[in-house]
Amino acid sequence: MFSQTFFYSLVILGLVWTALGILALIILFVRDWKNGDLW
Amino acid sequence: MTDLSILAVSLSREAAWGIVLSLSILWIGLGLYWGKKARSSEGFMLAGRNVGMALGAATAMATWVTSNTMMVAPVLALEKGIWGILAYSSAAFGLMLFAPLAIRIKKLLPEGYTAGDFFRQRYGGFGWGLFLVITLLYSITWLVTMAIAGGKLMEALGGIPYVQGMTLILSVCVLYTLFGGLFAVIGTDFIQSLIILIGVVTIGVLVLGKLDFGATYEHVSTYQPALLDVMMPVALLAFFNNMLFGFGEVFHNNVWWSRAFAMRDKVVGKAFFVSGLLWFPIPIAAGFIALAAGPLGVNVTDSSKVGPMVAEHVLSQSGMGMMAGVLILVVLFCSIASSIDSLLAATSDLVVKDVYCGLFGQELKEESFRRVAGSVILGVAVVAWIIALNEWNVGLVLYSAGGLVASLIWPVIAGLFWKQCNPLIVNIGVVAGCISGYVCFFAYEPYMAALVAAAVSMCFTLSSKWISPRPWPESNSKEPAS
Repeated sequence: MFSQTFFYSLVILGLVWTALGILALIILFVRDWKNGDLW
Repeated sequence: MTDLSILAVSLSREAAWGIVLSLSILWIGLGLYWGKKARSSEGFMLAGRNVGMALGAATAMATWVTSNTMMVAPVLALEKGIWGILAYSSAAFGLMLFAPLAIRIKKLLPEGYTAGDFFRQRYGGFGWGLFLVITLLYSITWLVTMAIAGGKLMEALGGIPYVQGMTLILSVCVLYTLFGGLFAVIGTDFIQSLIILIGVVTIGVLVLGKLDFGATYEHVSTYQPALLDVMMPVALLAFFNNMLFGFGEVFHNNVWWSRAFAMRDKVVGKAFFVSGLLWFPIPIAAGFIALAAGPLGVNVTDSSKVGPMVAEHVLSQSGMGMMAGVLILVVLFCSIASSIDSLLAATSDLVVKDVYCGLFGQELKEESFRRVAGSVILGVAVVAWIIALNEWNVGLVLYSAGGLVASLIWPVIAGLFWKQCNPLIVNIGVVAGCISGYVCFFAYEPYMAALVAAAVSMCFTLSSKWISPRPWPESNSKEPAS
């Protein structure tokens, strides 16, 4: 059986990972925009 | 496909119309603005083949986030527990593993337009025909399910009549795709990605804040212990089946091939890998809230709506009032639009290049391209609209297609990386894979369809390497180096 710690860690990881995804997209966008590399 | 009709109407009809019209005006305006870049057919179909890392990763991720990601991930969590959530997340591996394939695609077909170019060159007329039948059936049914989901979403959340809502979301996507081609699709996908991710995190954090995690675990382990079982057989089957379904879908569909052609050579692999990384946690963040239904006292009368029901319950309790409905509507509207626009663009490219030019032998000149492409986009949308108008149950067609798309996994890999094979054996393998997939889906266990179809097709494809193999036909593309 999956432990409570595993379940909790999975949920936290999912939320933090998704939030980091927002940050990553913004950082990549700004970098590409500054370098004129968007498209 | 999900029926949202049980959700309470949490927005006034006027507010719902205000939101969807504002979003519609925004997408169409951006489509017109970015459409100025689409001066040539290559610009319109492939955004000038110069898309960078940020927009490339975002568009691949946003296309893979559909209304099903938001609606079915919670259902899988409710029915199959932790493995159910992970099963849905496993579809991200399709995007990640497409990265090396995309690099290869760019090397082999530097001037390619559609996935059909590859199938025709590698597997001849029969293989190309098989691919077209499979991919058009799959893409059109996917498009229809998204249109139906859009109509039902607006009806359930905002009281907008189904036909009006469905027509609106389809028309908006048609308009900005018509005006801006892939430039508009990719640009809007980036904004839609951010909205989806922010919405998922916001809802997830609010649910987590309302939840006593210890009590939730206790509740699930007492009343539904199978959901926490490490060795739940059907969930493990679902995990591997979903993964192969994802591989088959991404590896063959022109939605992703057109993006590979559109991205810059240097970023294409990284962009697909990052898009998979971005997508992986979304079903976890969107799905876990289903397990909170019991402890939070949400009466789940129909499991297919558990995600929005719990989200609406928690957001309303958090004092967000009408904003709860607004947030859910905006996130789901964006997730549906980001898939509809991509399907419209990529499916139309396929019809223009492979059917109009390839099958019917029509020559397409630059000056008549926009007229033909526009007519095809409208035609595809009208077909989808008619089917959605009647609410024909195409969901089953889509879900049973796992075997069809999984049958194409190995032919794509072989065609990209091998020096030679026997195309006839590969084509027979695709047919055998499709038949065995359907037999498994309807006669045995739906979660076996993609697994069995991929295995059957794999056996034929591997055999084709040793039984009378022949080098790939000469073409304008570069041959594999190894």
